[in-house]
Amino acid sequence: MRWRYILYIVGTLVLFLGFSMLLPLAFGLYYGDRSVPPLIKSIGLTVSAGALLFMSFRKRREENIRQREGMAIVAVGWTAVGLFGALPFYLASDSWYFVDAFFESVSGLTTTGATILTDIEVLPKGLLMWRSFIQWLGGMGIIVLSIAILPFIGVGGMQLYKAEVPSPVPDKLKPRIRDTAVILWKVYALFSVIEIALLMLGGMTFFDAVCHAFTTMPTGGFSTHNDSITHFGSLYVDVVIIFFMIMAGINFSLHYQMLRGRPLAFWKDGECRFFLAIVGAFVLLVTLDIVRHDVYVSLGESLRYGAFQVVSMITTTGYATADYEQWPAMSQVILFTCMFLGASAGSTGGGMKCLRILICFKYCYRELFLLLHPRAVTSIKIGGKTVSDDVMRSVLGFLALYVGLFIITAIVLGGLGVDFVTAFSAVAATIGNVGPGFGSIGPVENYAHIPYAAKWVLIWCMLLGRLEIFTVLIFIVPEFWRK
Amino acid sequence: MKIVIVGAGEVGYHIASRLALEDKDVVVLDKDAAALRRVAENMDVQTIAGSGSSPSILEEAGIRDADILLAVTNQDETNLVACLVANMLSPTTLKIARIRGADFDAYHETFRNQPPHIDTIINPEIEVVKTIERLMRVPGAVDVGEFADGRIKFVGVYLDRQSRLAGIRLSELPATIGQRRFLIAVIVREEEVIIPTGKDRLLPGDLVYFICEEKQLAEALSIFEKHAKPIKRVLIIGGGRIGYRLAVRLEAQSIYCKIIEKNPSRCAELAEKLNKTVVLHGDGSDHTLLNEENIADIDVVITLTNDEETNVLSSLLATSMGAGKAITKISKFSYFPLMKAIGIEQVVSPRLSAINTILQHIRRGKVLSAVSLKGEQAEVMEAVALETSDIVAKPLRRIAFPKGAIVAGIIRGEQIIIPTGESVIEPNDHIIIFAQRRAISGIEKIMAVKLEYF
Repeated sequence: MRWRYILYIVGTLVLFLGFSMLLPLAFGLYYGDRSVPPLIKSIGLTVSAGALLFMSFRKRREENIRQREGMAIVAVGWTAVGLFGALPFYLASDSWYFVDAFFESVSGLTTTGATILTDIEVLPKGLLMWRSFIQWLGGMGIIVLSIAILPFIGVGGMQLYKAEVPSPVPDKLKPRIRDTAVILWKVYALFSVIEIALLMLGGMTFFDAVCHAFTTMPTGGFSTHNDSITHFGSLYVDVVIIFFMIMAGINFSLHYQMLRGRPLAFWKDGECRFFLAIVGAFVLLVTLDIVRHDVYVSLGESLRYGAFQVVSMITTTGYATADYEQWPAMSQVILFTCMFLGASAGSTGGGMKCLRILICFKYCYRELFLLLHPRAVTSIKIGGKTVSDDVMRSVLGFLALYVGLFIITAIVLGGLGVDFVTAFSAVAATIGNVGPGFGSIGPVENYAHIPYAAKWVLIWCMLLGRLEIFTVLIFIVPEFWRK
Repeated sequence: MKIVIVGAGEVGYHIASRLALEDKDVVVLDKDAAALRRVAENMDVQTIAGSGSSPSILEEAGIRDADILLAVTNQDETNLVACLVANMLSPTTLKIARIRGADFDAYHETFRNQPPHIDTIINPEIEVVKTIERLMRVPGAVDVGEFADGRIKFVGVYLDRQSRLAGIRLSELPATIGQRRFLIAVIVREEEVIIPTGKDRLLPGDLVYFICEEKQLAEALSIFEKHAKPIKRVLIIGGGRIGYRLAVRLEAQSIYCKIIEKNPSRCAELAEKLNKTVVLHGDGSDHTLLNEENIADIDVVITLTNDEETNVLSSLLATSMGAGKAITKISKFSYFPLMKAIGIEQVVSPRLSAINTILQHIRRGKVLSAVSLKGEQAEVMEAVALETSDIVAKPLRRIAFPKGAIVAGIIRGEQIIIPTGESVIEPNDHIIIFAQRRAISGIEKIMAVKLEYF
């Protein structure tokens, strides 16, 4: 492990984060609100800390990043960016405890969207923009962004990319990692811009449109209003946001193929079909369930709220247009399941990812099949391509770790005094990067009342979920530290 | 610049890594997932699992917008079919294939002119035989390369402890040896490549690369106390395809040649095909056999069996028993750094030959040819000096040349100039540059050309 080199790259990321605070500062200055002094202070601190690391560890160009160094850079980098991203909140007023600011910042960066704010609307515009903007940065990934725009990461980019975007089947759109990163960000930015335009057509202010596009595309879920999307009370806005949440939940390499003139790309991809089928089935079930229990007056309204909530949960966005805790049990269970399933691999969504679930299903089916035909030779195929054994192994390992960590952290939360339902749903909502859960952290509540120790645990869960477990967990494996 | 490489074996791997470092778009195809993983984990290229001869896989690899297709699997047939399919899908793509079968030798031209229109066919065995011949002829050389159609040689030799050049500064060189006939371009010391300045000293044990005209090669070598001995008797251990090709070449030059081959039926075949060569059935590491065959009188022993370890040990055995020198075939790149330590100086590698030849064939345009030194640390290239560039029309010492690069030769028409600080490059001269990799971008700037393929 060459810690010098790791700190050098981390320094670059921090430096970069510092400059990205200029955007909320611009909004803050435009609206002339209270966010200007804390933002300026944060920029100063972040840029100088980043520059310090950058300058003091700069060395002659290293050519290669080893796999474990790549993981270390990504894990340390995300933590550092989370810490510095918390500064604007922490410096904003005396009422912020550091752990709260850190929680809010990591929740943003990991696109979780869990908030500790009881009243969001009191925040100055600059800070609201910062909340949304870090989600946008974190959605496609700060490392992917830095690979795209910082030339010197170059060769080592591959290891970093693998550590930040650990999709079960690696997807390289272009021979060079840098070109791939550029394409992903371009597609991402394009969708965001279109969404801003469509939301403004629906009557949203520019500020709200930007903030919400910045939190829809990364499937983040921060809103600028206490009552989330309900605030707008517009069917049009609901539909636009549902559409973009689904888009954000689909593998971005498919978007790229579609934009390149292959409109059938969605249909040909096994995972995408599976994802859309699940969304369709769940929307139908939830709608029927809430119709049956007469939660809403009309079928149309049930469909509107049911669809929004299912899509919001399965893409791990976490927006709310309804208090689903008032819904019947089956709908709640389905929404809880959505938190685990998550969106597609290669999307900005969290959770276990549909691809893994699909592979796992097919694996289970093969086991049954082999009981009936003990001598059969079979292979597991996704979209016509065989899934290799080591992909299978990593998928099963991932799922086992996911469930294992879910249970262990839930027990820890219980021990820290969180009640039963809240403990389970908080872990599921943070590890799956969803945001709202059930119990005392439902769609109309927040995380403010969670004990401080438990907040630290949840911060760790959010990072664990966003970096897909292995990258973060590797740090607690003793073998990692052995020379 | 996009390059599709079919085959992730040793050759494909090294070419891919080389091209990826130069920021080219590289796609590697192979059937073997494990080989691909090794590629994907170590370099920034795209990998696709599947047969390189399959049209759908080639389509997926984006053959239509690829500039070059390199077919370097270990099967000639796959390589040919890959080129054929590529020719169908994308006729403009430059195709380079490795074809090893001797049967195809006569048809290289045909393959170029008729479908599959393979622009360049590389047969590493032919290249290796050429390298062996060059090494045999240049005494003491561990590496020999050519520029300007062979009129300029660049040669690597080890500096002996007792050499009179040991310990002197390069600036004192003219005083020690009189008039300069060669230029020391690169020193490799403990696996590190140094582009020397006048202040650098030559130390015993250094691998010194110098450049000189062909005519003055013998003289230059004698300064390094490497004296040319005529080669009269050669022993080849291992009668495979390379051994056979070499024997044919040596017969043509009337050099007395013996081949030791283990396999009796291969011996019979060799005896049928070869006229003057003595074919011996036996083990090349057999002490008695070597004694019987008067190993002490042999000028050069060349070990070419398919087993690396046997080659190394046979070479050591032969030299310890009094053979003049030994040339050893090694394929595994990871063994190269060890060779000097165990006393083997002259090494040939079919794979390395293939890689160098392929790179030479794909570097085009203003850069005429390029050879890599010591793995990938440095490169020698021949380029055209453009009128617009900063390097023409002033003495070399006044050019702000990037650190780690040196102009080692100027070719002006028929004339060859080994440059000094006072030499002036004229437009359209061909210049030979030695450069460390980190200096290459600086060279690009100063030459006002992009060192690009094509």
